[in-house]
Amino acid sequence: MRSKGTGFRAYTIAYLIFLYAPIVLLPIFAFNNSTIIAFPLAGFTTNWFRELATIPALHHAVWNSLVIAVSTSILSTCLGVFAARASTRYDFPGKGPIIGFIMLPLVLPEIIVAVSLLVVLLGIGIELSAWTVILGHVLICTPFSIAILNSAFQSLDKSLEEAAIDLGETRWSTFRLITFPLIMPGIISSLLISFTISLDEFIIAFFLTGTQPTLPVYIWSQLRFPTKLPSIMALGTILVALSITLLIIAEYFRRRGIARSGGQDAGGFL
Amino acid sequence: MKPIIQIRDVHKYYGDYHALRGINVDIGEGEFFSLLGPSGCGKTTLLRTIAGFEDLSQGTIHIDGRLMEGVPPNKRPTNMVFQSYAIFPHLTVAENVGFGLRRDPRTPAQKAAAVEEALEMVGLKGYGGRAAHALSGGQRQRVALARALILKPRVLLLDEPLSALDKKLREQMQSELRRLQRQVGITFILVTHDQEEALIMSDRIAVMFEGQIAQLAPPQELYRRPVTRQVAEFIGVMNFLPASVATVNGARIDVEVAGLGTVELAAEQCPGGARSGKGSVGFRPETLTILFEGETPRGRVAEGTVEEVTYYGDMTYYGVVPDGVDVPLTISMRNLVGRRVLERGERTRVAWDPAALVLFC
Repeated sequence: MRSKGTGFRAYTIAYLIFLYAPIVLLPIFAFNNSTIIAFPLAGFTTNWFRELATIPALHHAVWNSLVIAVSTSILSTCLGVFAARASTRYDFPGKGPIIGFIMLPLVLPEIIVAVSLLVVLLGIGIELSAWTVILGHVLICTPFSIAILNSAFQSLDKSLEEAAIDLGETRWSTFRLITFPLIMPGIISSLLISFTISLDEFIIAFFLTGTQPTLPVYIWSQLRFPTKLPSIMALGTILVALSITLLIIAEYFRRRGIARSGGQDAGGFL
Repeated sequence: MKPIIQIRDVHKYYGDYHALRGINVDIGEGEFFSLLGPSGCGKTTLLRTIAGFEDLSQGTIHIDGRLMEGVPPNKRPTNMVFQSYAIFPHLTVAENVGFGLRRDPRTPAQKAAAVEEALEMVGLKGYGGRAAHALSGGQRQRVALARALILKPRVLLLDEPLSALDKKLREQMQSELRRLQRQVGITFILVTHDQEEALIMSDRIAVMFEGQIAQLAPPQELYRRPVTRQVAEFIGVMNFLPASVATVNGARIDVEVAGLGTVELAAEQCPGGARSGKGSVGFRPETLTILFEGETPRGRVAEGTVEEVTYYGDMTYYGVVPDGVDVPLTISMRNLVGRRVLERGERTRVAWDPAALVLFC
């Protein structure tokens, strides 16, 4: 028993090192005073971070990515709320196939989605821009939003909405006063997940972005220049720190939501 | 009785499924009315059509003289206590109870007083600040009641409100609901599958099977004079013996009962209507009496063998097979001081009264 336990423990540790070593290396080389990404370390510097502040193209890319990710997360969460409510509350002809088609992008290869979108957009004659990227990202994020919001709606007792209507509220005020606050944790999760997916999505952005690249596309374009590598490392460090902060905030709100409504914690991000 | 709700020829279809099949009933002002039936009989559907959550496929419902067609639930003079109580988990007890007052023109202080008054009425004085999700089942029930009653509806609809509570709490809430109904004086319509609960609480009971009202009567009449065997079997325990109706002669009916001989019944003992031919008679366990040594019978006597003895403490239930029949009859006897409990296999005499029989043709 003892030796078996030790074996699993060693495996777990090795596995975690394999997963996280590259991420730990990011900040190490981001602060390393050398253009060559290799040990031994040359010394501490914050030059690479300062250099980031001087690249206008990077700033444009970050701005583009933020606009696209925020728009995508809001749009796909709204669509997700509608679809999840429809699929959990109503029965209508063709419901199965319709929901199936909405969920399909979850398993379609992204490159196929990207190429076909490109062909269609060019065929219609729509110019490539941030909007076309948002379109593509909404397409792939909506299934995630629906999946998250479906479970939020399913755990919501239907008679709560009926009770509010019975007590004199309209359908809309019932949604605002009862449904919305109770599915709030799901909405935050959905916003966060689609924001994250959109922010680091590369293939669709690469195909559909016009003259304004997103952050991943910009990073990919910079990898051709070895001297730019340390500043990419610095950028990566900032992104990792941001993701962790975002995750902690989201988890805080999720737990608070559950505690306030007295539900059972069914496990979250952390 | 002045009717507050008039239901006329109401039908409800779900696709091909015929959930309500021609419901006609008037429910009186200030009445405690129960819809009783097994699950799937349409009782909850009927309640939800009154509340406005289900459309009618056919027929009309008037509440307080007003036709309810096209009137949404939030515009009806009814409020509902849901089976799951539907307490809003993100609000406090006071916010839950005062939820329906949002559109009320009164000042916040007046509304708070109304909430406190409603909480006091259901025995939850001082609970207003608590989080709703931290309440016990019985407390949730009371919050749901206060929340519905604060709007002073003309009719309170209760959808199996006690089914989630344990036995002790349920019995306590039954008498409390009855007291509350007398206190506020409004019409209560209770949906339940528990016949005992319906008998205890109601002024009148509608027994429903398969989307139809099988019988509509006050509790005593329902228990003593069920119109069909189905109703009789659903309400309490009833013994049945095969019988044949010899003659129907105005107010008198001559019946030949297996194992008991010929009896003459009054017309009112056949509430479902009498005609000659095969049928059955039914009688309740407490209308039969086991005769112990030296006791003289009132009414008629049959002899039989004790086949089963179930001892309940205050009562003993016997299964006695009368001579000439092969079905055991259930007989309930109070365990009085000095009265012994019979053993299985003993011979015994059973006294019975023809006036207690109900005839089903």
